[in-house]
Amino acid sequence: MGAWAQGEPPPDLSPEVFAIARELRCPVCQGESTAESNAGVAVEMRRIIAEMLAEGRTREEILAFFVERYGEWVLYEPPRRGITLWVWVLPFLGMGLLGLALLGYFRPKKALPPEVLEEAERRLREQET
Amino acid sequence: MRGWLWVLLVLGLGGLFLWGMQRDPRELPSVLAQERRPAPDFTLPLLPPYRGEWGETLRLADHLGQRPILLNFWASWCFPACYEEAPVLEEAWRRYRDRVLFLGVNVQDREADALRFVGQFGLTFPSVFDPRGRVGVDYGMYGVPETFVIDGEGRVMVRHAGAIDRFTLERYLQEVLR
Repeated sequence: MGAWAQGEPPPDLSPEVFAIARELRCPVCQGESTAESNAGVAVEMRRIIAEMLAEGRTREEILAFFVERYGEWVLYEPPRRGITLWVWVLPFLGMGLLGLALLGYFRPKKALPPEVLEEAERRLREQET
Repeated sequence: MRGWLWVLLVLGLGGLFLWGMQRDPRELPSVLAQERRPAPDFTLPLLPPYRGEWGETLRLADHLGQRPILLNFWASWCFPACYEEAPVLEEAWRRYRDRVLFLGVNVQDREADALRFVGQFGLTFPSVFDPRGRVGVDYGMYGVPETFVIDGEGRVMVRHAGAIDRFTLERYLQEVLR
């Protein structure tokens, strides 16, 4: 990252740059990704991504570069391990529980025991006569 | 029995939400300070008023490891936080200048605006000019103002987000000089 010209216009960025930038959180405007934001930091991060791609670095290496500086917080997709694994597991757990609850609710009711049915039929006949 | 299970579930979720709402969104982790990593080096041009004393450009590595450094990221458009802390920094710099190096990094700013800011507060500690803010990315900076305390060995000790007040600054300086 040594030499760079100050104040030069941003280079024309390829869609590849934005694909990677979409996976990164903009540090200033935390609800936006680095691809969407026009904050100074986000613009500079896109420029860094473009430079690293030009150097032939891979997507993983570029993401690791930002994680190294900002921590895993900067990734839009929380890693599938450690405490953030729960973010991935909980929806499935919730769906499973909901499924079980629905199954219990709509389960066919148990048929009435034969002696109760016979009794009911007998009373019906008695009323008719 | 099943009623109690529901009560527990609701209480648990409620507690989680309550805890989540009371977290300070500005308290973001700093990888540098948590692991006490060596401060990333940079070479940047100084703002014109400081060139006489400090030269055309400043290389951080030339000053790392000699004495503690207080690195302050600021911008003239950062109102009111940067305007609140500028006099505090200047006052502390006058008292500590022989023991701690205060260094400003002016980010994403126009030079004319930055000079106006420097003149307005009579800032005598040197500031470098980084209009694109690349050094901020190396430090994992979120937004201005942000202050990094670098110890005598050149390692990042503290990251302070937002305007710094007199007492907090004094505490950091005492800590880094211990």
